[in-house]
Amino acid sequence: MSRGLRFNVFRYNPEDGDSVPHSDTFFLDETQSMSLFIALTRIREDQDSSLQFDFCCRAGICGACAMMINGRPGLACHTLTKDLPNEITLLPLPTFKLIGDLSVDSGTWFRSTHEKLESWIHTDKIFNPQAEEERMDNALAEDIYELERCIECGCCTAGCGTVNMREDFMGAVALNRIARFMLDPRDERSEREYFEVVGTDEGIFGCMGLTGCEDVCPKHLPLQKQLGVLRRKMAWSAVKHWFRFR
Amino acid sequence: MPAYLDLLQMLTGVVLTLFMWSHMVLVASVILGAGVMNALASFLEKTYMAQVGGPVIACTFFLHFVLAARKLPFRLEQQTSIWKLSKQLRHADTWLWLIQAFTAMIILIMGSIHMWTVLTDLPITAAKSAARIQGGYWLVFYLILLPMVELHAGIGFYRIAVKWAFVGRKERQAFKGFEKLLTAIFIFIGLVTLVRFLTLGT
Repeated sequence: MSRGLRFNVFRYNPEDGDSVPHSDTFFLDETQSMSLFIALTRIREDQDSSLQFDFCCRAGICGACAMMINGRPGLACHTLTKDLPNEITLLPLPTFKLIGDLSVDSGTWFRSTHEKLESWIHTDKIFNPQAEEERMDNALAEDIYELERCIECGCCTAGCGTVNMREDFMGAVALNRIARFMLDPRDERSEREYFEVVGTDEGIFGCMGLTGCEDVCPKHLPLQKQLGVLRRKMAWSAVKHWFRFR
Repeated sequence: MPAYLDLLQMLTGVVLTLFMWSHMVLVASVILGAGVMNALASFLEKTYMAQVGGPVIACTFFLHFVLAARKLPFRLEQQTSIWKLSKQLRHADTWLWLIQAFTAMIILIMGSIHMWTVLTDLPITAAKSAARIQGGYWLVFYLILLPMVELHAGIGFYRIAVKWAFVGRKERQAFKGFEKLLTAIFIFIGLVTLVRFLTLGT
């Protein structure tokens, strides 16, 4: 006997002047291994073709389908209805610009963040396509890869109390990103240069240690630990700078 | 600059937490007998630790407030967003932070009153403290202040460990359990001390 599921879905189309934010209710019978992706697609196919939501890979790789699932940020494609109660409330991620219903524009936010952080490898070396690639220690490559697993879904940003209160706080995804470049020996930026970017209250010192980022991350990245390590590095850099300055 | 402020916030927090815990143990010496507490108090006064230490702690206390207040949501929009998020998220650590922010405000007021009352009426003796508690109003005062301080110090202690990566994700739950136990123990000691003051001399 399959369960009857009740979906409360946030609806609002900012493009439409007559649209008012409200919640629509949809009913579905649960099927085996039903994910929220399947459920939402069925609702759009059979019940309301105007429902807006984002999906791309359906496998937890692209990060497009992040939304608030019963109050917690998560990936809709990764979330099975069998792990949820009969009543499921879906809201768009906060802290990002709403496109419509469950769809948000995280791209603009990520782009401006990456531009601010200059999250690319800074090097004066001239690339020689003929030369053999430089080798990297395997353990280091794995450490970098661990941080590189981030899919930029925006869950950590949405689950962060600090970002929700203060728009200018960079959030875990950005700080994790800079931590990745700090590990990378190919990036020639000095500690001071990194400090200029993240050694502020908008950066690492804005983090209040609420651990929301780490606890909601669908990829289980050790975000809070990374932020702690970055905080220590940056604080230490400031202390060293102070003594040199005297 | 934010780096120094943040470091100083952590350091003043550590100093105040350690102070609060030792303070609790010192006051709790009354459980062993009024003589023990009087001896400890007069030792601290003869060595001028109370006369100098008291105001130093008071300054640290205000400095810690000013530093930490940089992170507090004083604007209504901020309060509304963090409140909405906390209710939605059902995430213990976010709630713990709200408790910390709330207790901070109470401690700022009540802690100041407590420090003023005690430090302007030296020497500290078990009889004087007992008389205050037995007056009734001060009992209510301390019944509120005690859990506020212990919660704030306990959560703060945990938060520092998380923020500065002294505990990782694996150890976090265990560490949180330890912190809760510690807080409960100190609240218990505090309550026993209050009861002891109530019954002192009767």
